[in-house]
Amino acid sequence: MMTRRLRIISAILVALLALSGAAAQESETTVPYVQARGFNAPVLEGWANQSTDENAQFHYAEAKATIRVTIVAADDPLAAAQAELAEWLGAEVGPPVFSDKVNLADGTWQVFIFDIDAATTASVMARRQEAQVIVISFVETSPEARTVMLTLAQTDDSLDAATPEIARALTELADFNISQLQAVGTVALPSGDWHVHERPGLSAMGMIFGNDSYIALQEGALADLAPLADAWNRTLLGFFVTPDNSGYLALGLAAAFIILGLLILSYFWRARSMRQDLALLNALAEEDD
Amino acid sequence: MKTSYVETVLAIIGKDLRIELRSRELISVMAVFALLSILVFSFALELDRAAREEVVGGVLWVTLIFASLLGLNRSLAQEYDQGNLDALLLTPTPRSAIFIGKFAGNALFTGLVGLLLLPLMTALYGMNLLDGRLIATALVGVFGFCAVGTLLATMTAQTRAREALLPIAMLPLALPFLLTAVRATKGILTGAAEWQVWFQLLAGITVIYFVLCLLLYGYVVEE
Amino acid sequence: MTNPLVEFYSFMTFFAGLRESETTLTIELESKPMPPLLRALTVATVLGFAATLYLGLFAAGTDIQQGDIQRIFYIHMPSFFGAFTAFGLTVLGGVLALARDSDKWDKIALAGVEVGFAFALINLLTGAIWARPIWNTWWTWDPRLTSAAVMCLTYAAYLMLRAGIEDANRRRAFMSVYGIFAFVTVLITLFIIRIVPETIHPVIVGASPQNAQGSFEATSGVILALVPSMVLWLTLMPITLIWHRYRLEERREGLDRLKLKALSD
Repeated sequence: MMTRRLRIISAILVALLALSGAAAQESETTVPYVQARGFNAPVLEGWANQSTDENAQFHYAEAKATIRVTIVAADDPLAAAQAELAEWLGAEVGPPVFSDKVNLADGTWQVFIFDIDAATTASVMARRQEAQVIVISFVETSPEARTVMLTLAQTDDSLDAATPEIARALTELADFNISQLQAVGTVALPSGDWHVHERPGLSAMGMIFGNDSYIALQEGALADLAPLADAWNRTLLGFFVTPDNSGYLALGLAAAFIILGLLILSYFWRARSMRQDLALLNALAEEDD
Repeated sequence: MKTSYVETVLAIIGKDLRIELRSRELISVMAVFALLSILVFSFALELDRAAREEVVGGVLWVTLIFASLLGLNRSLAQEYDQGNLDALLLTPTPRSAIFIGKFAGNALFTGLVGLLLLPLMTALYGMNLLDGRLIATALVGVFGFCAVGTLLATMTAQTRAREALLPIAMLPLALPFLLTAVRATKGILTGAAEWQVWFQLLAGITVIYFVLCLLLYGYVVEE
Repeated sequence: MTNPLVEFYSFMTFFAGLRESETTLTIELESKPMPPLLRALTVATVLGFAATLYLGLFAAGTDIQQGDIQRIFYIHMPSFFGAFTAFGLTVLGGVLALARDSDKWDKIALAGVEVGFAFALINLLTGAIWARPIWNTWWTWDPRLTSAAVMCLTYAAYLMLRAGIEDANRRRAFMSVYGIFAFVTVLITLFIIRIVPETIHPVIVGASPQNAQGSFEATSGVILALVPSMVLWLTLMPITLIWHRYRLEERREGLDRLKLKALSD
């Protein structure tokens, strides 16, 4: 009777264990992030993953483009961006040909474009966080083209196309007027619907997300601009820093240990005071004798 | 001659009613307290119409529970101080009959205060609380927490710091009633259909608590 | 007695007076030696606690959204279930104390409240400390937080009420009844997410409410660290602590009897 009941109970336990194991297996999903030094960058599909423990890096051979996310100890975003590019590319990095500021959900980002040499153009977003600067850069090294990625604050929020910002980027970076381009409609990418403007040898794409315009420009004929724009946008929106709150963890552990410790110590205290009472009783009994 | 269960219960209720009719001690204290509490709340909260809809249920139930605490304390303390309960326990009265008798008296007084509050709050807060569903909710809620209250007051009346201990012991246990009754009231006032769910929950909790009290009362009066 | 932990433990209990000293006393407190099972349980609890801490703090990966603070969860949720076991033993103790007029079960009920109260406090405090970086506030009057606080207060009321009753038989009856009723607040805290859906408290096992904030995925790493911790806090932790507390209460009663005897002599 007893053994049968035990058998049933152990069967239930084994079944429960198997179920929880299966559940654990099922909920195991591959986290689509590269984790490096406390930050997380989304893994870009179709790009070669060159990430290390120090930084997240993806390369797109067809367009000779690389997206790289890193954190450097610095105070000034511009200096940090220049130093980071210089170290990475082994080239001298002069002043940016374009710089601006934009507010995204996670803070204020500095936007820089550097023309490093005839072939290389770097688009950088940098944000200071405490004593560190997060640098997200897009570098394109093809001599046939100059590709630029920009994030600009939307100037007219009644529009659902990034036209004014594309116009600004065109005039400031490529000496072109948007009227010289032809609007060729929209292209649907995973990141959203992008408006495309084109003329031979020049293409511009723009998308509104929140109150910001995401823009991609390409001078010269190279590969399709769309996957580059999409990857850049995914990196910017998907990137996040894992908060450092180990201090709170220590506090929580301390609280748990203090309460448990007080409970157990109170056992000892109470036992001790009982011993003292007992000793007193003994002393009284001896006095009586 | 053997008195039946129902007769015993009725005798206890009748005794409490007679005491009350002569002294008018309990109901007047509870009613004045409830009235003051309603006034204090309406001054303290300075409510506009939208906010009133939100909080009127809470005001009603908090007032009722505090008023019932006053009544319960006195009702049970008087039993012990005058030796009534000891006398009752000497007779072969079923303990559950004593519980039902004392509980019925308390629920009756608290229910009366509740029925007094509804038209009063209707006038003071400018919203119609004289709704059949709301009266039903009020009666069920009062029924439930008076059951727990009678049990706990019987316990605390036998301790030294009875006035202080009853609220401490009762308020946490009255929370399930407060939670469901306030939500049912709010649902009825705002015309939300979910009031029925809350009302059913309230009724369910009331039944569970009442049965528990009935079963356990014997243990708290026995020496 | 070759295990150094057992040695250390017996030294500590001897030191603190949990065990009788060798000196002869004219008045002796009859004290039972620590049962071998309790000894084994104590060692298992200490080792298990260390092991689950290792699993939660080092073996499990860091949650990339919440950071390190997510690890507090391996104590936060198990401590509630530890309180659940302890308060459940109080109910069992209450029922048996009433049914059998048993002082033994009344002592278990009291020990359950003390241990459960400590666990519930750990649960509340770790929750508040987690909420600070995740919800950006130490405390919010969320339905589940409120009911957990009310649960703590109910058992604080139990201890206050118990201290206010002098007569032992009356105390046993009253506190058994109160302990049974108080468990309703534990059940409400457990099920309130199902009853009141507008809580922001996340549910880890099962679907979180729509507006839950700060939930995280129960990956196999989380489950690996969580399950042993849950088992430990559900069983070994409360049972070992309650047993020790029970023995302490037994000794206290023996001492009280001796005091009465000394007074009457």
